[in-house]
Amino acid sequence: MPLSAILWISFLGSALARPLALRLGQRAGWVLAILPASLFGLLWIAGSGLEGAGAIVEEVAWVPSLGITLDLRLDGFSRLFGLMITGIGTLVTIYAGAYFADKPAHKGASFLALILLFMSAMLGTVLSDSLIGLYVFWELTSLVSFLLIGFDSYKASARKAALQSLIVTAGGGLALFAGILLIGMELGSFSLSNAMQNSAALAASPWCGTIMVLVLLGAFTKSAQVPFHFWLPNAMEAPTPASAYLHSATMVKLGVYLLARFDLAFAQVPAFGTALIVFGGLTVLVASVRALSRTGYKAVLAQSTVSSLGVLVLLIGLEGPVAATATVGFMLAHALYKATLFFCAGTAIHATGRTSLVEINGLRRALPVTAVAAALAAVAMAGLPPTFSFIAKEYLFEAQLESGSGWFALVALVLGSAVFVAIAGIVSLRPFFLGRSREGAVHHGETPGLFLGPAVLATLGLLLGLLPGLAVAPLLGPAASALVGQALPVSPALWHGLTPMLGLSALAVLLGLALYLLWPRLLARLAHLDWLDRLLGDAGYNHAFEGVLALARRCTLVLQNGDQRRYTATVVGATLLVTAVGLVLAAPPLAIDLSLEGLRLAPAVVVGLMVAAGFAATRMRSLPAALVAVGIVGFGSALLFLLNGAPDLAMTQFSVEALLVVILAALLLQLPIRPPSTRSAGERRVDALLAGGFGLVTFAALAAMTAAPLDLRLTEFFAARSYPEAFGRNVVNVILVDFRAIDTLGEIAVVAFAAMAVWGLLARRAKGKEPT
Amino acid sequence: MNLIYALAIALLTGCGVHMLLSRHVVRIILGVSLLSAAVNLVIFYSGRISSTVPPVIEPGSSALSEAAANPLPQALILTAIVIGFALIAFAAALALQAQRSIGTLDNAGLDVAESLGTPFDGPEKRR
Repeated sequence: MPLSAILWISFLGSALARPLALRLGQRAGWVLAILPASLFGLLWIAGSGLEGAGAIVEEVAWVPSLGITLDLRLDGFSRLFGLMITGIGTLVTIYAGAYFADKPAHKGASFLALILLFMSAMLGTVLSDSLIGLYVFWELTSLVSFLLIGFDSYKASARKAALQSLIVTAGGGLALFAGILLIGMELGSFSLSNAMQNSAALAASPWCGTIMVLVLLGAFTKSAQVPFHFWLPNAMEAPTPASAYLHSATMVKLGVYLLARFDLAFAQVPAFGTALIVFGGLTVLVASVRALSRTGYKAVLAQSTVSSLGVLVLLIGLEGPVAATATVGFMLAHALYKATLFFCAGTAIHATGRTSLVEINGLRRALPVTAVAAALAAVAMAGLPPTFSFIAKEYLFEAQLESGSGWFALVALVLGSAVFVAIAGIVSLRPFFLGRSREGAVHHGETPGLFLGPAVLATLGLLLGLLPGLAVAPLLGPAASALVGQALPVSPALWHGLTPMLGLSALAVLLGLALYLLWPRLLARLAHLDWLDRLLGDAGYNHAFEGVLALARRCTLVLQNGDQRRYTATVVGATLLVTAVGLVLAAPPLAIDLSLEGLRLAPAVVVGLMVAAGFAATRMRSLPAALVAVGIVGFGSALLFLLNGAPDLAMTQFSVEALLVVILAALLLQLPIRPPSTRSAGERRVDALLAGGFGLVTFAALAAMTAAPLDLRLTEFFAARSYPEAFGRNVVNVILVDFRAIDTLGEIAVVAFAAMAVWGLLARRAKGKEPT
Repeated sequence: MNLIYALAIALLTGCGVHMLLSRHVVRIILGVSLLSAAVNLVIFYSGRISSTVPPVIEPGSSALSEAAANPLPQALILTAIVIGFALIAFAAALALQAQRSIGTLDNAGLDVAESLGTPFDGPEKRR
């Protein structure tokens, strides 16, 4: 089956999901889960023949004229991702159906449709070989994530978190897009696999550093790395199934996916690996501290997710083939246990109506299957044998020791692992096994829909640990091979003997146990450190966000201050500035035409009269006198037209001017004749300066205009064609009613609209008068 | 002659801008009227004011003689005159209505919209 068909099925299915779910009612989750489940099957079959670093490629044309394709590509790595997306997607769909069972049907239906749409976008992202296609799907995941975080749109906190995540991830997406365009410019193609093979060309490019920073921005925002780590914990406003799916198992790993893909492309840029180790390590440390200072069930899980993402980013930065194996292993292990823990958290919160870990206790009797799943997932999170996570963690330490990249990464990894151990205890032992739940604290027990997901995932985590061969040949081997670009032998086992890795594991577990026991005291300390929260939280984002709003407010208050004179002055001043700069910078330098050639007395007298009237108009206090002065200017221009071979213009100007004087005189009948001036002396000076400057610039522009040669092509065209083609001798007339007839129609329309508006304005008055 | 025209147009433009900057609506309307007269002259000037012969094709000839005035700016100005008239007539009606309903045509007193407050005030501060 072609890859494009898989995507089509996915998108069509999610488009149909909402109406179908409304019809199905309570069974919607179970029935809709058929879609992701069958996609899982299709992907499994499609990729089962893949060996080593091989890939299935499908070319899909999109915008051939721009060289943009929607090429798809399936290799071991994208297959592992695709299987995680569809596999966990199946369980999330079932879980969400049960989770929304007590909510209005349309809410559940919308949620399921969004979850499936998100799954389709994720599949599109990991199957795209075209970077443009990847970007489009990438932003689609951000958009759906926005909708899911803000799903409870009546809550202000949900809306704020949704907006925050959108600004951060979509903003990072724009940076990624810029990087992609630069890659396309440098390599001549938007193909991801091409970029992976052309690392030398990329490293040699002068844009290499810029591309790297832009790609890192895109990945770090999506995967919540320091300093963009703050949005992910806030995203826990989303309903828990969405948190389990988007914000732990899949979407936030897209950044990691991108970095892993570009690891080969940037293979010859050492700064890339260093940046990953530094930012990944910092993220691990920051998130570890924050995880221990939270009490919200989902908040603690979210912080530990940020930490895990930091571990993954750090791993990609490490050299050597073991790092690739460790990356894919940890990615799979994390998806299995973290989705399980989110499911368990969701059920516990749903059942008790409480969100704080301090308030949830001893749920093992009410939710027995969930409790067992949580326990298994916690063992996995702690990285203890015999779970698959233990194997992944051994690889993690081995990759670190093998690459020899210094103490910083090692400390970050050991500390991060220790905090994982502590958090595993905090999120499973305390709520489910320690203490006793209060009477009536549990509103409902578990339903099959609620416990199937966690049970399956937790069991898988255990099974893959006991029989590591199950995961290796079909999944991890090809995935790791695809990352390094060559076939990679992977042979994991639970027991490696007494190795340094085992020692580090033991150290992490011991440290973690100590942290777990100290947690209540640590929490009391950390929760009161406001400066820590400010330093590591989203204070910076809020500051920037509110700064932008304050700037907008200040600009509005200055520019939009309600005084029309100031608006006009701003516009005049700006026009003046732009024109003056344009005149000064004009190349070649402007010539100035100061000739008095062809001087005639009559027009000169008229012009002099007009200028005198113009000045009089500005000086007169009385409005009728000013109207007369303006009228003189109008009639003067009509005379000028008459004296210079434009009788048509003169006639029009005479009649229009007469009409205008009548209309304005009628207006003046209703007004005080000598209104007092409200311009202060200072304002008068500014106005005189602006008017003078405007006149000066106009003069310079006009003098420069006649010094330049005149382009007469249009005039010659009209002069030659008017009679033969339009049978008119008056050329001005012919231009208006024939060559530019549509223009004239528009002009008539303007006059008609103005007349209608005037009529409407004055009729309103008449109507308003009637009752009185 | 070009110098005289350019100077006169520039001075008229300056006068128009000065009236436009006034706070009284009628003065602003008169300023617009002055400015549009000046702009029409700019268009006229840009096609060169040199001939006194109207651009009409002589009987017996099929093309315009070389001596005739440039017809293109004249066509543009004809449109501009009419549009300028419509604009000023509309503005005058608007001013009349404002005078009737608010009682002043001084912009300092025309603050019906401003007294609604700004979007930044929040709902409780807005009247």
